[in-house]
Amino acid sequence: MSVIDRSSQPGSGSLRDFAFPAVNRTRLANGLDLRLVRMTRLPVVSVSLFMRAGEDALALDRAGLAVLTADALEGGTRKRSGSELAESLENIGARLSASAGWEGTTVGISCLADRLPEAFALMTEAVRAPSFPDDEVQRALDQQLATIRQRRMDPGALASDCARAAYFAPGVPYARAVDGTEESIEAMSRQTLAGYAEANYRPLGGGLVVVGDVDGDEVSAMVQRHFGDWAGRPANVSEFEVHAAAPERRIILVHRPRAVQSEVRIGHVGTSRSTPDYYPLSVANMVLGGMFTSRLNLNLREEHGFTYGVRSRFTFRSKPGPFQIGMAVGNDVTAPAVREAMGELGRMADAGPTEDEVSSACDYAAGVFGLQLETSGQVATRVSQLQIYGLADDHYDRYRDDVRAVSAAAAGAAAATHMRPSEAQIVVVGDAEVVGRPLEELGLGAVEVVGGG
Amino acid sequence: MSFLSIDFERHRLDNGLKVVLAPDPSVPVVATNLWYGVGSRNEPVGKTGFAHLFEHMMFQGSAHVPKNRHFELIERVGGTLNATTWFDRTNYFETVPSHELDLCLWLESDRMGWMLPAMDQEKLDNQRDVVMNEKRQRYDNQPYGDWSERLQRLVFPEDHPYHHTVIGSMEDIEAATLDDVASFFETFYIPNNAVLTVAGDIDPSEALASIEAYFGEIPAGAEVPAIPGRTRLDPVIGATVRDTVVTDVPLPRVILGFRIPPYSADAFATAEIARALLGMGRASRFYRRLVREQQVAKSVVTYAYPLMTGASMMLVWGTGYPGSDPAALELAMLRELEGLVDARQDEIDRAITLTETDLVRALERVADRADLLSMFDLYFDDPGRLNRELDRLRSVSLADVRAFVDQYFGVDNRAVLTYVPESGR
Repeated sequence: MSVIDRSSQPGSGSLRDFAFPAVNRTRLANGLDLRLVRMTRLPVVSVSLFMRAGEDALALDRAGLAVLTADALEGGTRKRSGSELAESLENIGARLSASAGWEGTTVGISCLADRLPEAFALMTEAVRAPSFPDDEVQRALDQQLATIRQRRMDPGALASDCARAAYFAPGVPYARAVDGTEESIEAMSRQTLAGYAEANYRPLGGGLVVVGDVDGDEVSAMVQRHFGDWAGRPANVSEFEVHAAAPERRIILVHRPRAVQSEVRIGHVGTSRSTPDYYPLSVANMVLGGMFTSRLNLNLREEHGFTYGVRSRFTFRSKPGPFQIGMAVGNDVTAPAVREAMGELGRMADAGPTEDEVSSACDYAAGVFGLQLETSGQVATRVSQLQIYGLADDHYDRYRDDVRAVSAAAAGAAAATHMRPSEAQIVVVGDAEVVGRPLEELGLGAVEVVGGG
Repeated sequence: MSFLSIDFERHRLDNGLKVVLAPDPSVPVVATNLWYGVGSRNEPVGKTGFAHLFEHMMFQGSAHVPKNRHFELIERVGGTLNATTWFDRTNYFETVPSHELDLCLWLESDRMGWMLPAMDQEKLDNQRDVVMNEKRQRYDNQPYGDWSERLQRLVFPEDHPYHHTVIGSMEDIEAATLDDVASFFETFYIPNNAVLTVAGDIDPSEALASIEAYFGEIPAGAEVPAIPGRTRLDPVIGATVRDTVVTDVPLPRVILGFRIPPYSADAFATAEIARALLGMGRASRFYRRLVREQQVAKSVVTYAYPLMTGASMMLVWGTGYPGSDPAALELAMLRELEGLVDARQDEIDRAITLTETDLVRALERVADRADLLSMFDLYFDDPGRLNRELDRLRSVSLADVRAFVDQYFGVDNRAVLTYVPESGR
């Protein structure tokens, strides 16, 4: 046995270089953007079809329609019922997923490679020929209403919902929950969903990604066969500007009697995915609250024991999404936790991160990137992001160099621009009788107490 | 099938540490995964939640690694890490770029061999606060958050180690001392009570040499003491037992628990198949009938817990809609459970096909491979079981399923936990 020196960390071995897998990009005659990645490690394949049928293109009275339509897609096709569709897929070990968010609707397939032709045909059928039977639509609708109800009684979800409305002005879609309101959902019917899918499940502005142990020519032919005559552009278009709900800092305390903990959200309007500050701001946020060893987590968890964990995040969307710090803290430490979080936010906005913190965060981001390319699903998700946000083809090839090029000065400047403690909306869901006065005494502003749901 | 064959080799150090190496050069990543044979089942009365609290203490530094440094170093190389505690085991894992394997070995060996010199009261106080906040966040401040505590009490008798939850009680967490930390460490955190798996881009002989160098000098410990309480128990609960909770929840929910054979029993494969027929995928019986056709449940969830000690637990839960009758939901669920006596071969085939896809998906990640290899080695002394998982399920016959339904879903083996929303909500 060799003798090792335990007192210092071991040196690194020789770095193994790797590249983001090659993406073969083509465009069908109808404009469908197709990207193929061959990964032969295991005989699996991931398919992701993105359509620009997003919640951000829906007015408040249609809020939740894209989400509901995606959920109801499993209800059946013109050829088979919902249960028959499920059986057809699962008999070949395929899983079909459909979900909608702000930017659009994504339908995906996960299966073993030799089952792709059958699975892909079923996916196409679900997307292009959904039948939306009445009872299946009613079920999806009831489920969504029940989910909205559940969220009101889940303190974490309630805090996030209240925080959204505190960040974004009324009328900005981002101010509401992505899956709609009771009023908007209750007004929907089979016709609403069928009409929405017909008008918005269209190829232009979206894209198809296929990743796995597949032959490129065969896949291209298959896609052409199923989607070659698919045409058009989604009818609903996102047309809004993002405005903040309030220019000044506020503390909103949502009263939840007998709560044993407070759910806290601190944030404001952030910035868009296309910001030139994307890398420096991401790095500054990592230092603030984007890693385990971030300032917020080391302070609030490891030093003070106020919380199980605290994170901060910029949600980058096509338009400016939220910037938010989130945590759950004990009743007796709610006010001190808010004080410390605001202190860290202020310190980051004022002075930025240190050289050492920035180099550490850059190393983390560059390293983790390589770790997250193991599975076909991970790669498919990444490639799909290129389509959703219109990123350059070589975006991932350059990623590690670009993130490593961030300087402390650039990260500090990005923090100063995009983190604004004086505009922070502080939302606390907790027992107002216990945490109200200490929050008031912080001197961060008046505490507005509202009822819980 | 060939793609389910994961290559590995096994070794054992002189101090008893079991080692599994699973090379795969196709990704520039390596995963380390260390399973210790200790979990909440090893906690005596008055110490519930301690195994999990101890897991937190394992991140508070060791003789050569200051507090927070473990996280800092792994994050700095772009790695990820975590740990989890469960009934029968505790696992610690890192995934890093493959040239940083030695860093993981150094960190894991330092806390296996030299944790105690770094412990102090301040760290314990801090992590007790963190864990109590974890309990509040994940259980006490959540609708239905006490379900596992209530269900385990119904399914397992008071003197059985699964009667209490992994998170434990606030009182016990609060009462933990540094002496408890020291004795727990010396009793359970010993090389002869652990399996280390390294999977990914490694040269096995080089990796083994590094493992020898970092872990070899840690002395073996005494044999791990017997699990406290009574570990042998009747195969069934013996009655239908109930707990009805009228409380602040948004929707009615019925959770049915059944005592089933332990993970180590051959019959556990039948439990897995029965579970899959009921709740795996959208062609499953619960989803098709209760969610889709009858619409009595908003959602259904099914689990067969892979527990090792005396018996295990299957649970199925159905969440109703606002205003729906929990009794009707319970009845509909029971009808499906009893109706499983008419299971068909095509349903079993479908469940196995779906499991196959899921398993291959899991094996895409070296971290998941490492976790499974560690589990099979610790539990069964047989990491190769990973490559026979589907055969084990394929051996289940329709007659097995029928017998299982008769034996385990009857009125003498039901725990019924019902959540009823407070009126006026």
